Amino acid sequence: MQFQKEVEIRAPRGRVWDFIWDVDRFIACVPGCKEARTIEAGKKYAATMVEKVGPFKVEFPTTIEVLEREELSHIKAQASGADNKIGSRMKIDLDVHLRESNGNTALGFVATVDILGKLAALGHGIIKRKADQVLDEFAQAVKRRLEEDS
Amino acid sequence: MLRRFRLEEPETVAEASELLSRFGESAKVYAGGTELLLAMKEGLVHYERLINIKQLKSLRQIKSDNGAISIGALCTHNELETSPVIRQTLPALHMLERNVANVRVRQAGTLGGNLCFAEPHADPGTLLMALGATMVADNAAGRREFSAEEFFVDAYETSLRDDELLSEIRIPVPGAHFRSAYLKFGYLERPSVGVAVAFNSNGGGLSDVRIAVGCAGPSPRRVREAEALLDGKSREEAERSLAQAGQVAGSASQAISDLHGSQDYKEHIVGVLLKRAFHGAFS
Amino acid sequence: MAKAMARRSEAQLIPLSFTLNGRLQEIEVEPHELLLDVVRDQLGLTGAKRSCDVQVCGACTLLVNGRPVSACTTLAFEVRGCSVLTIEGLAEDGKLHPLQSAFIEHGGFQCGFCTPGMILAAKALLDENPAPSEADLKHFMHGNICRCTGYKKIIESIMAAAQQMRSKS
Repeated sequence: MQFQKEVEIRAPRGRVWDFIWDVDRFIACVPGCKEARTIEAGKKYAATMVEKVGPFKVEFPTTIEVLEREELSHIKAQASGADNKIGSRMKIDLDVHLRESNGNTALGFVATVDILGKLAALGHGIIKRKADQVLDEFAQAVKRRLEEDS
Repeated sequence: MLRRFRLEEPETVAEASELLSRFGESAKVYAGGTELLLAMKEGLVHYERLINIKQLKSLRQIKSDNGAISIGALCTHNELETSPVIRQTLPALHMLERNVANVRVRQAGTLGGNLCFAEPHADPGTLLMALGATMVADNAAGRREFSAEEFFVDAYETSLRDDELLSEIRIPVPGAHFRSAYLKFGYLERPSVGVAVAFNSNGGGLSDVRIAVGCAGPSPRRVREAEALLDGKSREEAERSLAQAGQVAGSASQAISDLHGSQDYKEHIVGVLLKRAFHGAFS
Repeated sequence: MAKAMARRSEAQLIPLSFTLNGRLQEIEVEPHELLLDVVRDQLGLTGAKRSCDVQVCGACTLLVNGRPVSACTTLAFEVRGCSVLTIEGLAEDGKLHPLQSAFIEHGGFQCGFCTPGMILAAKALLDENPAPSEADLKHFMHGNICRCTGYKKIIESIMAAAQQMRSKS
């Protein structure tokens, strides 16, 4: 499943970039994400993703690896996790882009999400909708946080 | 094999509600189990306690009461299918219940359970919206009533509070000019698209038109924009607007592309079913 | 016996008293035990099959108080005080039920896997409606799946049994 989101943030590119690497504040924008930790600054992070669809709850201890990094413009990362209680795995390939946009910053990302295992029994459509919601909320939260702080 | 759990068998609705409050997420209401046990067998959910409510006799009646048909949430699909009251006053519901899943699911599964589990590919919710049904929920503190539309929030999600039981579904007794129909389409185990239509047809024009779509999206929904295209028109005029109403209803269905079909396909089927249900309601 | 010993001491045991194929059974089950497992493993009646395990195929069909249920998705304690019929209980004193004879005579089965459930469902149908039309039959039997026969012989068998049962009464 692939998702594309873009938000325009009333903040200069530098601040948006710094915000992304401020792990605690950044992770706080991801709905259902908690306990963010830095394992190797700039390279490897960990967090726990908790998502719920009705009565179905998943808890993915997640590892996030930064694969590519271009100062102020591009990040490529991969997040993966497994919920052994439910027998499901999650993998997200993330491509984040920043660019100047009329004095503001356009933050865009392409997320390729794969859910494997029992959770897939819920139905592709439901999972897709949920992932879409989470990514939407995330993008809006980043925008809000950065704009509030200015 | 299921994982172990404790069985609670409260004797009153208040007691059941208290158990839900006390044990929170680790407890779940259990009636027919036709959805719940499947999810538990899959390992998708686990509860330490199942609260059996089938012994709560007050949730099991079907009666005509004050201008409404009152259906206890514990009524099984089979009980609804074979009820003379339902057959005579709500023929569309009779037909729907007769065709839920298979004979074994109809034997064990309850209307309340079907509604509360809110599985996207389910039938009754869609028709209940078109029939103007009211849901009645009880907890230890008291009673709440709300419309079928307010009941469904999202896939597997209703507006019931954590300590509430759905106890009753009330459907206004249709007048002499009331017409309704529910049609579904699917070739997998569960239906892929469901459309319900209801209106009053009194020689002059159509009034109180209600259209609801279900199964295609995460939850059933009423489509007022489609209703507006038919409401107040004569039958012939309404028929000329059916194609457009079908398109509007299809878009509003929040159809998701999945194994049941692509979004486009489902939206198209919504239009087809709307047309057929409309004509079917007259016969 | 071994199963009873394997249960943890704090397990919740529900006394289960029911009639099975005409005879009284008194056992104990834990809440999470499924009817199909109790019937097959504890009571040794393996006619009912675990096939789809999601109550869609009907191979696990049992009759509880004359009504068809999916034993794979029924908790065992639910049959307390009920009368349960399995395929093993259909023949009386070694004499086959008309449905069983009809299925043999009319070739209503090939591999036989769906057959116990098929016959029990058909019995429930005929008990409710002794003279079903083909449409009635198909509607009732919709939830019993067969991969071998293509259903034609199954329908013939049931209709033949129905006629046989009507002429006898």
